[in-house]
Amino acid sequence: MQPTSSMKEEFLKKWQMGLQIYRPLIDNTSVSERRKAIKLSADVAMASLRKGTTCWSRALIQKTATEDNFLVRQMLSGIKAETLINKKLPKVMCHRKIVRRSKMILRRRQSRSAIEEVAAKARKLVKKKTQGLRNVVPGGEFMSNDVLLIQETLDYIVSLQTQVNVMRSIVDAAEAGSERTAYYLGKLKFAIEDG
Amino acid sequence: MMMMNGEATEAELFLNCADMSVLERQRAQLNYHHLPGFFSNSSTINGGEIDDGFLASAGLDLPEIYGEVHGDARISVSPGNITNESGNSKKRKFGCVDTETKVFNEKKKMMMMDREVEVEEEEEKSKITEQSTKSIMKMKNKAKKEQNSCSNDSSKVTKDSQRTDYIHVRARRGQATDSHSIAERARREKISERMKFLQDLVPGCEKITGKAGMLDEIINYVQSLQRQVEFLSMKLATVSPRLDFNIDDIFAKEVVSAPMMNLPNTVMPPHMMVNSGYPHDMVNSGYVHFNPMQQVVTSSDPLACFNNGQSATMWDSDVQNLYSSLGV
Repeated sequence: MQPTSSMKEEFLKKWQMGLQIYRPLIDNTSVSERRKAIKLSADVAMASLRKGTTCWSRALIQKTATEDNFLVRQMLSGIKAETLINKKLPKVMCHRKIVRRSKMILRRRQSRSAIEEVAAKARKLVKKKTQGLRNVVPGGEFMSNDVLLIQETLDYIVSLQTQVNVMRSIVDAAEAGSERTAYYLGKLKFAIEDG
Repeated sequence: MMMMNGEATEAELFLNCADMSVLERQRAQLNYHHLPGFFSNSSTINGGEIDDGFLASAGLDLPEIYGEVHGDARISVSPGNITNESGNSKKRKFGCVDTETKVFNEKKKMMMMDREVEVEEEEEKSKITEQSTKSIMKMKNKAKKEQNSCSNDSSKVTKDSQRTDYIHVRARRGQATDSHSIAERARREKISERMKFLQDLVPGCEKITGKAGMLDEIINYVQSLQRQVEFLSMKLATVSPRLDFNIDDIFAKEVVSAPMMNLPNTVMPPHMMVNSGYPHDMVNSGYVHFNPMQQVVTSSDPLACFNNGQSATMWDSDVQNLYSSLGV
C-alpha cells in the first residue's frame, strides 16, 4: 500500500502547524536549529497521524518530547498530550549474562545433529536481525512479540514514505523557485547591463 | 464472474474506511485479491508450506466451488470475519494429496468450516484409494470424536460448532497436533503473512525468500528512509531562511497559468532586494511590480526558451513562493 494523498495532506497540515510554533523564534537561528525544528515538527506530525494507536507513534512522540516538550504539547492539543508524554512504557529487561549461561547449560544437554545445527544457526541469524529491526523502529524494544513488531514496521514504513514524499515535493518546489529566480536574476541583470 | 465483482466492491468498501490501520487495509486487499490468485503459485517465505500449486495443477473446476460458498454470503466485510477467512486459508494448505477426488472433497470440506457433520458424510461417500493420507484419517477421527462427545442430535452438534469461535486448524501429514505446536504454527503463519505485506512495500524484495534476508532489506530500507528525512530537513533549512513554504504548491499542480503579457524591464529591483536582505518596507514598495513577472513572455528572446521548457504551473507556484517570502 502506498501513501495516499489524504494522508499526505493531513501530514502537511500538521507539519505546518508545528512550524508555525517555531516561526516567531527564527530570526536569529542557525541552520542546524532550523533543521532540528523542521525535523521535530515533521516527526510529531507523522506520529500524530496515527492518533496514538500504534506503539511506534507513541514512542516517537515521547522521544521528541524529551527534546522539545513545548512543541509536542502545542501540537497535540488535548488530553492525549498529557497521557502520551507522561506514560511510562514497560521495558523488556534482559539480563544477557544469565540468559547466555542458561542457554549454554541447555546446549550441553542436547545432542546435536547436522540439520539441527544449521537450523539453530538460521534461527540465531533471524533473531539477530529482529533485534536490529527493533533498534531501528522507534519503540521497538517495547514490542514483546515478533508479530507486533512486523505490524508496527509496516505502519512505520508507510508513514515514513508519506513524510519523505511530502518533504521532497516541498523541497523541489522551494528549490525550483530559488533556481528560477536566480536564473531570471542573471538574465535581467545581463539585459540591464547591456541596454 | 459475478462473484468476483461482488467481492471487488466489498473490498473497495473495506479499503475506503478511514481510520483503518495499514495492516487491516492490506489484509483486506490481500484477502480479496488472493482468492483468484489462490490458484496460481504464491511466493513462499516458509519454504513451501503453502501448497497452492498442486491444486491448480489438479485441473479442477475449483472456482465454481468457491462461487457456491460465496453465494451463501458466508464471508462478510467485518473484521471479525476476516479472521475466519484467514482460518480458511490456513486450512487450504494440505500436503501430499494426490488423487483428484480426494482433493475435490477436501476442498469442499475446507469451505464449509462449520458443518463438520456433513464433512463426515462426504468422506464416507468418497472412495479412499491406496494413498490415503494421515490427514484424512485425522479428519475422520476428529469428526467421529466430535460426534461422540456431543450428543447424537445433529441440531445440537451444529449449535455447538456455531457457538465456538475457534479456528479449526487441520493437522498436516506428519505434524504434531498438540496445542503448543499448533499455536506456534499459527504464529509462524501470521508472521509470514505480514512479511508478505512487507515484501510489497519494500521495493526490490520480490526475489528474496528467507526471513533473514527480508529483515535485512527491511532494516536497510527503514534506515535509508530515516536518512532521507534528515537530509531533506537539512536542505529545507538551508533553502528557506524563514521556514515558510506554501501549502498550495503541492496540490495545485493543475492551476492554469495567467495569460501571457510583455515583460517590462523594471521588474528586477524587487528580486534583488529580497535576496540581499533589504528592509521589509522597501521590498514591499516594489511588490506591485512583481505581478507582470507571472506572465511569461513569448516575444522576448532570452526568456522564450525558458518558457517552452518548463510548465507554467511551476512558474505560478514559484511566484507564490516569492509572495510568501515577502511576508504577504
